[in-house]
Amino acid sequence: MAQGRPVRWHIAVFLAPAVAVYTALMIIPLFGTLAQSLFNLEAGARVFVGLGNFRRLFGEALWSDAFWNALGNNLWFFLIHMLVQNPIGIALAALLSSPKLRMAAVYRTAIFVPTILSFVIVGFVWKLILSPIWGIAPGMLDAVGLKSLFAPWLGKEEYALTALALVSVWQFVGIPMMLIYAALLSIPDEVLEAAEMDGITGWSQFWKIKLPLILPAIGIISILTFVGNFNAFDLIYVAQGALAGPNYATDILGTFLYRTFFGFQLQTGDPYMGSAIAGAMFGIILIGVCLYLFGIQTRLRRYQF
Amino acid sequence: MGALELKGITKRFGATEVIKGVDLRVEDGEFCVFVGPSGCGKSTLLRIIAGLEDASAGDILLDGVRVNDVAPARRELAMVFQSYALYPHLTVRDNMGLALKQAGIGKAEIRAATDKAAQMLALEPLMDRRPAELSGGQRQRVAIGRAIVRTPKLFLFDEPLSNLDAALRVATRIEIARLHRDLGATMIYVTHDQVEAMTLADRIVVLRAGKVEQTGRPMDLYNDPDNLFVAGFIGSPQMNFLNAPALSAPGATLGVRPEHLQVSRSAGAIEGQVSHVEKLGGETLAYVKSALHGLLTLRLFGEHDFIMGETLYLSPEPQRQFHFDAEGLRLRIV
Ligand SMILES: Nc1ncnc2c1ncn2[C@@H]1O[C@H](COP(=O)(O)OP(=O)(O)OP(=O)(O)O)[C@@H](O)[C@H]1O
Ligand SMILES: [Mg+2]
Repeated sequence: MAQGRPVRWHIAVFLAPAVAVYTALMIIPLFGTLAQSLFNLEAGARVFVGLGNFRRLFGEALWSDAFWNALGNNLWFFLIHMLVQNPIGIALAALLSSPKLRMAAVYRTAIFVPTILSFVIVGFVWKLILSPIWGIAPGMLDAVGLKSLFAPWLGKEEYALTALALVSVWQFVGIPMMLIYAALLSIPDEVLEAAEMDGITGWSQFWKIKLPLILPAIGIISILTFVGNFNAFDLIYVAQGALAGPNYATDILGTFLYRTFFGFQLQTGDPYMGSAIAGAMFGIILIGVCLYLFGIQTRLRRYQF
Repeated sequence: MGALELKGITKRFGATEVIKGVDLRVEDGEFCVFVGPSGCGKSTLLRIIAGLEDASAGDILLDGVRVNDVAPARRELAMVFQSYALYPHLTVRDNMGLALKQAGIGKAEIRAATDKAAQMLALEPLMDRRPAELSGGQRQRVAIGRAIVRTPKLFLFDEPLSNLDAALRVATRIEIARLHRDLGATMIYVTHDQVEAMTLADRIVVLRAGKVEQTGRPMDLYNDPDNLFVAGFIGSPQMNFLNAPALSAPGATLGVRPEHLQVSRSAGAIEGQVSHVEKLGGETLAYVKSALHGLLTLRLFGEHDFIMGETLYLSPEPQRQFHFDAEGLRLRIV
């Protein structure tokens, strides 16, 4: 065995294209950015400052106020997704998988369609809907006598972020729904029938049998949501611009990074501080994913049926 | 305590009628086996009894009470599935105890019930494992244990042994027979394994295309089939069906079991050539090709040598013949 085994070149050959492309497009830029975050301009020259940029980002009021604001907003954005999008996705999937539901395919498609729409369309459409001047939301609330509930949600500091998070939930609720739906379908009928025979029906069947069996899928959705939310940018940018108004109330790490890196209006671009923000985002996501992989996923059992 | 009666049960899936009017009585404590070819509706009938499917028409009575509209769990019966259908996320103990827990029974009582079932099925060392950590035979025992724990009036088994290997199948079969004796509960058991049906059943129900062809004790079906189908279905190897007019016998078809053919090298009613021989040690099966009757099976006790292509003469034992008319119905000629 040991002596006769030829070098298996084909493995390297087949891997090479993917590795080359991935390296060129992902790995080199990533490390380039991380490296750049260790430099800054001093008197017009690029000098190595070590972790100086991060010190400024986390500690110097000029930067850190904006950074912590963006991070806090981002956490809230994530929390809304976890508390609203995923439970609704699971509930929709549970309803869809019910054999008594007619026209399930129609609902499935209708709920999934927004996820394939562009952010630009979604952001714009919702801006139109919610506009206090020519939006249809005030009129519709008026029609059911709830006009007093209406507020210019996107324009108020205390509501804007939540409103946008809910718009994002509306757009993406189809993804957890589909993943959970697939997981629910993979539970064998006989297991559910056995539960039926044991008197476990309806909601208690969902809690006691189905939910434990789809936990791995819920775990995956959570981590996808986390990564997606901490990389989010587009919707805020489309709806509120790079200034993430009102008064930075909807500023998340992505928009903060964009403004810093490329500059916006009176602010000039700063690629070094921008890289530091990108590095911080990378670190946050890395920590989150590691916590999930080693803390949670190892405890989730996967069941083969 | 566990008598079942089916009255005119039919079941339609869309336009196709799968169960076409089944009337059946299963007495309390009886071991009743449903057999029949694949797709004849055995599982469907069982699922109707369980309440997992609704009957399109007809009544299901348990101990004289109509249960058509009673939820499966309230019918006080337990089902063992072919695929075991254990809850993958629960330990053996929790799998067995879940129904009781759902019914609101106390922890101590559940523990006592699961321990008792575990002891009956020798599952004690496995109580804290999950189904994925069990062998197929152990999983099936857990599934049976889950049924026992509920102390049902009626046990339903849908081909419970078909995923097991031959040796385990025998062991589990004996186990089930013992359970039936110990519990004294009514059991309905679906199988298409001859041996299981013959050895376990107090009564066999032969189904064909959604209809009951015949019911009776195993030996009654074997020795006194009502029609060609039952005659051919019960017994292995299958009964030989001979061309009756060619033998100047009454009816259209003459049935004779492989062990009831006498063989001679010189003279007999049917001439044929040996086309294949199977030696099983205790018995020898010879397949004889005859121009008038097709391929016949001959079963002889002990070891016998035949030369391939050799001409044999076979004669049906006179007392062991079955006559069938052109429709396949038995002609009972005294
Ligand atoms: N849900 C269903 N919808 C439509 N047809 C069905 C359904 N379930 C079963 N059938 C049909 O009913 C007939 C009987 O099925 P059933 O499962 O009862 O057969 P079976 O006797 O158990 O066969 P096997 O020995 O292969 O398990 C089959 O022809 C099958 O195609
Ligand atoms: Mg079946």
